[in-house]
Amino acid sequence: MKKKKIAQVPFRLNILFFVVFLLFSALILRLGVVQIVYGEDYRKEVERTEDEIVNTPVPRGKIYDRFHRVIVDNIPENAITYTRSKTTTPEDTLKVARKLAKYIDKPVDKVTERDMKDYWILTRKEKAEKKVSKKERKEFEKQGLSQKEIDKKIYELTLKRITPEDLREITKEELEIIAIKHEMDSGYALTPQIVKNNGVTNREYAVVSEHLEELPGVSATTDWKRHYVYENTFRSVLGNITEDDEGVPRERLDYFLARDYSRNDRVGKSYLEAQFEDVLHGKKAKIRNIVDKSGNVIATEKVYDGERGKDLVLTIDVELQQRVEKIIEEEIMATKRKGNSPLLDRAFVVMMNPKTGEVLSMAGKLLTKGEDGKTQFVDFAIGNITSAYAMGSAVKGATVLTGFQTGVLHPNTYIVDEPLYIKGTPRKKSWQTMGTINELTALQRSSNVYMFKTAIAIGGGKYRPHRSLKINPEAFTTIRKYFAQFGLGVKTGIDLPNELGGFQGKETGAGKLLDLSIGQYDMYTPLQMAQYVSTIANGGYRMKPQIIKEIRKPTDDAKELGPVIQRFEPVVLNRIDMKTEYIKRVQEGFRRVMQTPKGTAYAYFSGAPYKPAGKTGTAEAFYDGPIQSRRNDPTYNLTLVGYAPYDNPEVSFAVVVPWATQGNSDGINNRIGRRILDTYFELKAERAKGNVTNDATTTDAATNAEANE
Amino acid sequence: MGQDRLSQSKLDYNLLFILFLMAIVSAIAIHSAEATLPEKLQHVNFAYKQLQWYAIGAVVIALTMIIDYDRFFQIAWYLYGFGMLLLLGLELNVPGTVTNKGATSWYKLPGGNFQPSELMKIFMIIVLSRIIVNHREKYPEPTMKDDFRLLGKIALTVLPPLILLAKQPDLGMSMVFVAITGSLVLVSGIRWRIIFGIVFSVLMILAILVFIFFQFPNFFHKYILEDYQLNRFYGWLAPYEYSNEQGFQLIRSLLAIGSGELYGKGFGNLQVYLPEAHTDFIFGVISEQFGFIGASIVISLFFLLVYRMVHIALESNDLYGSYLCAGVIGMITFQVFQNIGMTIGLLPITGLPLPFISYGGSSLATYMLAIGLVLNVHSRTKKFMFSSDE
Repeated sequence: MKKKKIAQVPFRLNILFFVVFLLFSALILRLGVVQIVYGEDYRKEVERTEDEIVNTPVPRGKIYDRFHRVIVDNIPENAITYTRSKTTTPEDTLKVARKLAKYIDKPVDKVTERDMKDYWILTRKEKAEKKVSKKERKEFEKQGLSQKEIDKKIYELTLKRITPEDLREITKEELEIIAIKHEMDSGYALTPQIVKNNGVTNREYAVVSEHLEELPGVSATTDWKRHYVYENTFRSVLGNITEDDEGVPRERLDYFLARDYSRNDRVGKSYLEAQFEDVLHGKKAKIRNIVDKSGNVIATEKVYDGERGKDLVLTIDVELQQRVEKIIEEEIMATKRKGNSPLLDRAFVVMMNPKTGEVLSMAGKLLTKGEDGKTQFVDFAIGNITSAYAMGSAVKGATVLTGFQTGVLHPNTYIVDEPLYIKGTPRKKSWQTMGTINELTALQRSSNVYMFKTAIAIGGGKYRPHRSLKINPEAFTTIRKYFAQFGLGVKTGIDLPNELGGFQGKETGAGKLLDLSIGQYDMYTPLQMAQYVSTIANGGYRMKPQIIKEIRKPTDDAKELGPVIQRFEPVVLNRIDMKTEYIKRVQEGFRRVMQTPKGTAYAYFSGAPYKPAGKTGTAEAFYDGPIQSRRNDPTYNLTLVGYAPYDNPEVSFAVVVPWATQGNSDGINNRIGRRILDTYFELKAERAKGNVTNDATTTDAATNAEANE
Repeated sequence: MGQDRLSQSKLDYNLLFILFLMAIVSAIAIHSAEATLPEKLQHVNFAYKQLQWYAIGAVVIALTMIIDYDRFFQIAWYLYGFGMLLLLGLELNVPGTVTNKGATSWYKLPGGNFQPSELMKIFMIIVLSRIIVNHREKYPEPTMKDDFRLLGKIALTVLPPLILLAKQPDLGMSMVFVAITGSLVLVSGIRWRIIFGIVFSVLMILAILVFIFFQFPNFFHKYILEDYQLNRFYGWLAPYEYSNEQGFQLIRSLLAIGSGELYGKGFGNLQVYLPEAHTDFIFGVISEQFGFIGASIVISLFFLLVYRMVHIALESNDLYGSYLCAGVIGMITFQVFQNIGMTIGLLPITGLPLPFISYGGSSLATYMLAIGLVLNVHSRTKKFMFSSDE
């Protein structure tokens, strides 16, 4: 026996040992593959999945006026949020929702049928199971689908088969649970989702805070609500942000997701809020979630504190803005009371610094029927850039300058103002026949015929009474080209979306060319008018209208502003290619309009201490407003552009009152013009006395512009 | 001189030193895994308890060594009967059994749950070794027929407990039994032809099963493996497509081990949550913290352990002693290979702990019992030599 053992057993034992060796080698080999060959991949994946970095929202930047008064603020409000982990099951959320429903009230209006069905399946498992028979389940299995696909198909089938009767089982209390669950489910895992932020009472807030232990994922925190301090004032330009259940606009989803936004972030959706989204939007706080074995968040650690959005300082003087808006409202009502202005429903004022392009006030008011049926004013400041009207004689300064530049006029050119009889068009004349006049008088008294004859000359035509008039259609292009140098008919370049460039007439008949020369053919926006008059006021520099003065770093201190990050310097869009003496002539003409008897605005501006200059306009227009039945009714647009003081302008303005009257001259444009200039200089005097600290740095545009050349 | 050799060789200090190192590795690994355990287990100091179990294990070794292993030879069948009774009790669900995750494998004892199949492994080694020794004595010059007769005896002894285990169900433990049997059959001296024949048939059967699976899936699902059993294979072969429990565990385990890379993340740096971190997936905890180097050291420790046991088996001039060692080698090797293999995707996931390292009182006690057997064989070896020289 022993002999046998020596011969055989040790050999077999060695074989056994060899097998052991092979097996352990296989382990080491495989371990090497996992840890050394693919180790880096695994490490990267771990870094990706285990330390979840989450962004939490920070308040948006505030918006200030030029004297640092807050226009748009953030108000903290109580909010209940819920953060789902990656492994949270629908049952878990349901449990939390049930408990939460006991502590808070939640409106149920957002509950969808699908929400109810999901809830029904979740809470009535046995009944739901019966909706799809065993046989049908077997069928699915036979199709060779994966378990996931089968489950999905069964779920869809169950959803389809839930009847309205089934859903009627859901009680009112349950509906509230569904509403809460709806909010909880809508976010992404590990991203706080607001369950309720509107009208969370202090009691609700306290009770939820007390019971956080039994509400995993829920926290009672602070949310920020946008607050527009001056309510309606300038409201339409400030724009809006999306609601939290609206989130990022779907059509720009990719744009935002690429920029570290979450789907449920509130973003600017119109005008200033939208235009400066990347400024106002803060840098989110980054929080690292440490996830335990079942995927629950066991600890969070702050990686980056986040930063409130940057602040915008506007060029707007909100006090001036408020007063201007009040003036517009009062004057509209005053004119309407006279009873001859059924179509009048809006008026616009733009005031800017002609040297820098800074917009000091941009007001628009629209009279509309509110929900309660009463007529009321709503803010329509944005209409200054989004709507265009026939501006009438106010554009004549541009016409005269075009005449100079094309060589058909020279300083002190005399032309006979007489009614024009052109075959095929109605008689064309000025509001009174003025005889032989030069361009200064033509502007002062607003001669149409002077402009007509200039336009005819530009078009290479020859006026012969009662004959048809032939002009070169190129004249339209020529005039529009020169008008555009003042900003008429082109975008002003203001930093706001949806700016309108105006409207051009399509016909090219001689009559239309004459209309064009007196501002009754193409349509311009009120802001274009302001830019145009500023260009004349500052001696020929077309300034970009600035609405933003500075971007400032946010501070925690509510009283102080952070340091300036970016200052918006004046931008000269173009220098009109005309001789300075030509512009001086037009400036003189404008001065005479307001400061000399016979000037069309003299009655309103005589005695104004600030030496204004400007040009009135009355356009024969056709109604194009909201009252359908009156569309295309003839009416008058009243306009006024100007600046003051005429020799060193610090403010320029445009007043536009579309569809102001049905015939009688009214003067609303001049009344508004006089009052806003008075207000401007009153405010200036008050400030000089130290009522408001004016730290606005007035840069001299002319020097700047020259430096730019 | 003989007296000196006796006193020197009574205990195998090499083996004991390896065990000592294992205890240290185990305590460190379990301690580091504690932080990642679920909350209800947070207050338990598992590392300390494991060391306590090691102390108890030392007593077990001492007790095993008191009796000459020849006594085990004599009572082998009583032990086998006792073990079978315990397994039958589980099968019949007598009071006191515990069912966990669908498997009825435990008895409730005051000190915790007790798994009779652990004991049965040792009894199996003892009884199979006796069968082989008896057979060899009866047929010193075995014919082919004798070899088959021996195989038949072994099969008849192994099958009853194997069937009971499979019914619990406990796939991992059943495979351990097969491994023990296999290693004993290998060293029993049965002709190579037969062994190769068995290996070949097993391979053939596997091939046929795979063929049926792909060609006649319906038949396969109906008569061969249930879906949940198949899921184990899906989870193993394609963990990313089949996000069942096994797949999930494998992915976590691969992440933990792989991200450890060559040098590991350092003690206490566990980023990846592992299920059963302190028991079945303790190897993942080690590999993540100590990297390829640390993991290789642990594997080498096991290899040294086995090497030492092979050495003892070779030294022994008693057939019974050699067979006992071979059985223990088969058992430990398979468990190590299975446990580590499943954490790195080499084998499907089963609930087998890593010997000596994983936390668990009854399994540690069993391994200590097995070590006790081997040490026993070692300590008596010299004595026999001494007496035979006389």
